Amino acid sequence: MKISLNWIKDYVILDGISTEEIVDKLTMSGLEVEDFIDQNKKYSGIIVGLVKDVQKHPNADKLTVCSVYDGKNDLNVVCGAPNVEKGQNVIFAPIGSIIPKGNMEMKKVKIRGVESNGMICAEDELELSDDHSGIMVLADDLSAGTLISEALKLNDVLLEIAITPNRPDALSHIGVARDLAAIFNRDLRISKLDFQESQQDIKQLASVEIEDKLNCPRYSAKVVTGITIKESPEWLQNKLTKIGLRPINNVVDVTNFILHELGQPLHAFDLDQLSGKRIIVKSLSEDLKFTTLDSKERILPKGTMMICDGKREVAIAGVMGGENSEVTASTKNILIESAYFNPTSIRRTSKKLQLSSDSSYRFERGTDPSNTVFAAQRAAQLIASIAGGEIAKGVIDEYPVKIKQKEMTFRLARMKKLLGYEVPKADVIKIFQKLGINLLKDMGESLEVIVPTHRPDIEREADLIEEVARIAGYEKIPAIEKVSITLHKRKDDFDLEDKIRESAVALGFNEMVNNPLIQESDSRVTGNPIQIANPQSQDMAYLRTSLLVSVLPIISNNIKKGEKDIAVFEIGNVFEKLKDDLNSFSDFEEKKKLLFIITGKKQSRQWYSAELDYDIFDLKGLINSFFSKISLDNVLNDSYNSIQNKIYDYQFTVNFKDLMFGVGGRVSKNVLKMFDINQPVFSFECDLKILGDLSGKKRTFKELLKYPKVYRDFAFLFDKSINYTTVKEFILRGGTDILKSVELFDLFESKEIAEDKKSMAFNLEYYDYNRTLTDEEVDKDFQSLITKVTEKFNAILRGK
Amino acid sequence: MQRSEIERIKSDFDQEIEKASTSGELEQVRIKFLSRNGIVTKLFDELKSVPGEDKPVFGKLLNNLRTEVTESFNNKKLIIESNQLPDSSSIDLTLPGKGIKIGSRHILTQTLFEIKSIFKGLGFSVYDGPELESDYYNFEALNFPPDHPARDMQDTFFVSDKFLLRTHTTPVQIRIMEKEQPPIRAIMPGRVYRNEAISSRSYCMFHQVDGIYVDTDVSFAELKGTLVSFAEQFYGEGFKYRFRPSFFPFTEPSAEMDITCYICKGKGCRVCKHSGWLEILGCGMVDPNVFKYVNYDAEKYTGYAFGMGIERIAMLKYGIDDIRIFFENDLRFLKQF
Repeated sequence: MKISLNWIKDYVILDGISTEEIVDKLTMSGLEVEDFIDQNKKYSGIIVGLVKDVQKHPNADKLTVCSVYDGKNDLNVVCGAPNVEKGQNVIFAPIGSIIPKGNMEMKKVKIRGVESNGMICAEDELELSDDHSGIMVLADDLSAGTLISEALKLNDVLLEIAITPNRPDALSHIGVARDLAAIFNRDLRISKLDFQESQQDIKQLASVEIEDKLNCPRYSAKVVTGITIKESPEWLQNKLTKIGLRPINNVVDVTNFILHELGQPLHAFDLDQLSGKRIIVKSLSEDLKFTTLDSKERILPKGTMMICDGKREVAIAGVMGGENSEVTASTKNILIESAYFNPTSIRRTSKKLQLSSDSSYRFERGTDPSNTVFAAQRAAQLIASIAGGEIAKGVIDEYPVKIKQKEMTFRLARMKKLLGYEVPKADVIKIFQKLGINLLKDMGESLEVIVPTHRPDIEREADLIEEVARIAGYEKIPAIEKVSITLHKRKDDFDLEDKIRESAVALGFNEMVNNPLIQESDSRVTGNPIQIANPQSQDMAYLRTSLLVSVLPIISNNIKKGEKDIAVFEIGNVFEKLKDDLNSFSDFEEKKKLLFIITGKKQSRQWYSAELDYDIFDLKGLINSFFSKISLDNVLNDSYNSIQNKIYDYQFTVNFKDLMFGVGGRVSKNVLKMFDINQPVFSFECDLKILGDLSGKKRTFKELLKYPKVYRDFAFLFDKSINYTTVKEFILRGGTDILKSVELFDLFESKEIAEDKKSMAFNLEYYDYNRTLTDEEVDKDFQSLITKVTEKFNAILRGK
Repeated sequence: MQRSEIERIKSDFDQEIEKASTSGELEQVRIKFLSRNGIVTKLFDELKSVPGEDKPVFGKLLNNLRTEVTESFNNKKLIIESNQLPDSSSIDLTLPGKGIKIGSRHILTQTLFEIKSIFKGLGFSVYDGPELESDYYNFEALNFPPDHPARDMQDTFFVSDKFLLRTHTTPVQIRIMEKEQPPIRAIMPGRVYRNEAISSRSYCMFHQVDGIYVDTDVSFAELKGTLVSFAEQFYGEGFKYRFRPSFFPFTEPSAEMDITCYICKGKGCRVCKHSGWLEILGCGMVDPNVFKYVNYDAEKYTGYAFGMGIERIAMLKYGIDDIRIFFENDLRFLKQF
């Protein structure tokens, strides 16, 4: 919200306080000043110049060379504006001054061979408007050399304040002034009413009836007759333009002025356009097409609260007036509406219509229901004084549902408990008084107070404590240096994730963090996705059903950028719809998953090694190492499925007993094609919740082996159809208990050996924890295994 | 066999071992004296022809000889080997090392981890919660009434009338308090979503860490002390801080914490919008209405809560000027951290 400090000074005297201090204290009391412009600084050095002479530029048709008098000297200035003329007072930026637009310092330059000592400015260069059609011509009575800030009254400080939603009272100049009065302990001065009324009773000129009493607790009105619509006087136009409003006419300008002065939105109706001179506040019984002030036709849904006359709707209550009753150049008589609407009702309408106005913004946050009559009277007074006309006698004030001021108790001990320090009682009372919170009774240890209706946010003692704290200053609250920590049970839900990250990084994986919002077609690949009702774009309209589908586009982008060799992982949540309508937590599933992806080269071409592509066994190996690092290697088993499915060309699953919780494999070509990926991708995804439930097991220390290990190797020719795991497990089972492990160390197939055969060579490891093995017992076991393998698989022992 | 012969052999050996200065020469000495056909070995063959009564004497002499010679040889060998420089002429040591792939944690999870570690040190537990939340947990129980403008502070993605993508990690506070009784001392990191236009400064998804402490005597002063301690551990000492009144529906009083801009050290720059201050978190005392929702006695208990955005912190700390780069996951970016 834009606030003019000069305007504020109409209500609170801030003499002797610097702009910087005002800005700092406002921010430190909760009205955050996001930005401010000190016009005196902004326009410093820019002055009124008198154009004494205009000559054509010798080398350019569209330029002129002017002689500009700056109050002391005549200066040569090259000008490109079509409207520059001899005898004009103009805005002149001399050498060394700073042009606000673009923050550009003026320097002496030669333009097409002619020296120029400054610039004659257009409005846009001073950021007064966007106009760059010509230079700005000033009043004749100004004397050359006068500072522009003085000549144009550009001597204000303009504040941009971020008002939090709980402070509707601060959405006006009076509101900000009230806080300043409290902060600097000054008096708030509110203009007194001073106007004459005509003999004609307002009740004979207009009537107001509230049907929707719940949503319109109060409706006040004043009538002014015989006015002349014209431009507003300069002081009023100035006030509005300062805060970025465009002056329209004297009546509309006054309503805008009151809104920004008092925070009470007003609406002026052309009384002669109101059928039956009646105002009826009611809700629409059916949908309605309605044209608002901005000349837009809108469909208003049933239930919208409207202002109607005797026959038709004339305004969307609290949001925007209708074109059919707006004040025009020929308006003579007006009715000024000053109402209090239910914030919820206005917000619903504004949200539904996606139409927000300065009025609706204030109503939906809560205006002051006690201030409607004053605001209408003040508007009538101002209108009568600048538009002529007479103020009808009396005021219409329908107030069927009285809104009471809240009474509450403030305990000094509670303040101390909550803040950790104590503001002296006398200071508390003073702060309350400055904020309009009246002391009813001083009970010694507590205060009974009554809170004014302009502070709807103050509802409880805690709110009062905040008021005291913020005005006294949060900086007064000490930052204590000692805290007591309860020795309750500690936990970290992310322990496993941290452990996983550590292990994955050690295995060479880079971590990704991807956006779970993806496009529909991608999300459908791995599940039944949940749709976002109000997405930003179709690219992000669904939640991912697997990590895989949110990572593949990223893999694709990386490959396109030349990063083709990738080993990445991600931990994140995936979402699956279980029912069409999501009404409870059981209608969908949110699961935390872990994904590993490898693609491209495992080993690039190097002086010590040929290049190697990643394959499924790299994935298996990495996954196994990973499970070993997180201490899950002996409890898991895997199974294989070479049958192609939608996602994988071939896959393996990782299981705990019968529970399958992870799937890995080579991602199918069809899926890769969707993501425009042309190289094999191997992926493994598993459920982290299940993994977490498993990983409770502790590793315990195992005695180090004291006796030597003995190794034996053998190789057999097998039928191709016999798989590795079958043989390995057969050998392990077939050996005596001194056989501890069996490793495959060579595998090859070649026509020279035999068609349909393959050779597998195994290394057998023997040891015993309690003694040294003898060659004889190892040989005996080894020989018996040779026989068993030969017989079982019809295998042929090689070598020997 | 004669005693003098043995002595001569010993003296020959001594001379030759003395002269040997390379492992090649030493090997020649070994072959000449100690190999299977070496002079010393052969002497033992000759022992067979020595008359019986002399055998013990010569046997002893020969054994002594062999021991002395072997010892002397081994000593020399050690000396030569230790003096010998490795033959580096055949190795090009300037060849590059053989690379081993190492991975990396995403800078966001690194930053989260760092923040988490500090709070764990301050006695906080760490809780997780769902990203797909109900309106109740995300808004209502946090004192955002329906149709209240405070909801505009957090533009929301809805998946149905009642469910939405959480706009902050604060709902986890409610989930904890529903299950446990005070004292509650916990932080809640996680992903959150906002339906805001994507730009270099804002993205539709980001990370937060929320925190809460509820007990019988928790004050704003303790909140200040705790957060100042966090900031000192995370940002290092030597900054100024300030707590500015603000508004959050779930805290009262509410504040935002600023610290000296560590880009410009408070002089004013583009990053701090020339204010010299950087906002690092929002905080306040838990609103009594929130306690009502979880059936805590708001007279008996007080609490503080706080929340901070991780991306913003990481951007400032690592000089990243576009939030979108976190989620593009360009390997060239990921590998930098």
